[in-house]
Amino acid sequence: MTQPQRDRLAEQQAQLLRALLADGPPPPGFDPRRLDVEATALRSKRRRVVAMIQPDVCTDLEDRFVPLFAEYARAHPRTVGSRAREDAAGFVEWLRENGHLPRVKWWRRRATKSR
Amino acid sequence: MRELGVGIGWRSEIDITVERLPGVDFVEVVAENLNPDQLPESVVVLRERGTPVLPHAVSLSVGGAEPVDMKRVEHLAKLAYVLDAPVASDHVCFVRAGGLDSGHLMPVPRTKEALDVLVENVKAVQANLTVPFALENIAALLEWPDAELTEAQFLAELTERTGCLLLVDVANMYANARNLGQDPEKLLDDLPLERLAYLHVAGGEEHHGVYHDTHTHPVLPEVLDLLSELVKRTRPPGVLLERDGDYPTDAELAAELQAIRDRL
Repeated sequence: MTQPQRDRLAEQQAQLLRALLADGPPPPGFDPRRLDVEATALRSKRRRVVAMIQPDVCTDLEDRFVPLFAEYARAHPRTVGSRAREDAAGFVEWLRENGHLPRVKWWRRRATKSR
Repeated sequence: MRELGVGIGWRSEIDITVERLPGVDFVEVVAENLNPDQLPESVVVLRERGTPVLPHAVSLSVGGAEPVDMKRVEHLAKLAYVLDAPVASDHVCFVRAGGLDSGHLMPVPRTKEALDVLVENVKAVQANLTVPFALENIAALLEWPDAELTEAQFLAELTERTGCLLLVDVANMYANARNLGQDPEKLLDDLPLERLAYLHVAGGEEHHGVYHDTHTHPVLPEVLDLLSELVKRTRPPGVLLERDGDYPTDAELAAELQAIRDRL
């Protein structure tokens, strides 16, 4: 029976992931610089996947892509069962809602429709 | 473990390359990317040729606090069965906790408690596999505080209590040496190398003072040196090159495989 062990481990692991992915407080005992390194690495990996799925949107953002993605990612950590495509679509929606993408022009809309 | 030789990670982007590269004795597939009911043609070709194809999972989260997800285990088991694989594997890590998905392999605390949970999870996986299960050491960018066991002790006790095999990634050992100041030769001295299934070798690069095990760069000579260190201690049943992007020419991949073979 490992239930008490599992419960304690679950809390430790959840605390660590909240700190790394969702701007949670740093768990006690961890080197804060290492937490930063890990958080950045995890976010970069996630960003590369989104850039693969939505190359045009991400390229158009140019220098703003990395900081904007960081802002989005912190506010929207990946949850269990979520898919990469949903993440990429969520990023685009977040960009639009926050005014980081130009509004879709009527002629572009028509062009898209007629395809 | 039976003799595997030198191999490369099969990826759909380089399927034809893998089929025609000289000196590929075995391949590994990422279990989550394959449907056991509809294997890619290239994988079928390799199997028909008699090339062993080993499923390697990344999402079982055996180091996680939750019991393993049986759907994921069954997927791996079925794949191992249809591939007639000699061994299936995953990592000593967790990927999910508290409803969040890290998207990558996270280290587990090296405590007796975490080991108890890991052992129970690994046994649950083994009970559903028809082939031996091997576990891989990961590259970590951070360390848990209050470790009660060294990495070698942790892995040794894991293999002893579960009977699992070890998939030793020398590139991950190198990364941990660079980033966490671990002593890779001491780790090699203390690991139960008699439990070795095979080895991983991969490339990486340094970025802002941190070494990243990218699998998208050439293998460093230092990683091959670590392979040589291991070979001094035991004869590995197999060594596999992992490449996951920025694919070089076939000739360069063949040269990397040859460089590995030269160290054996």
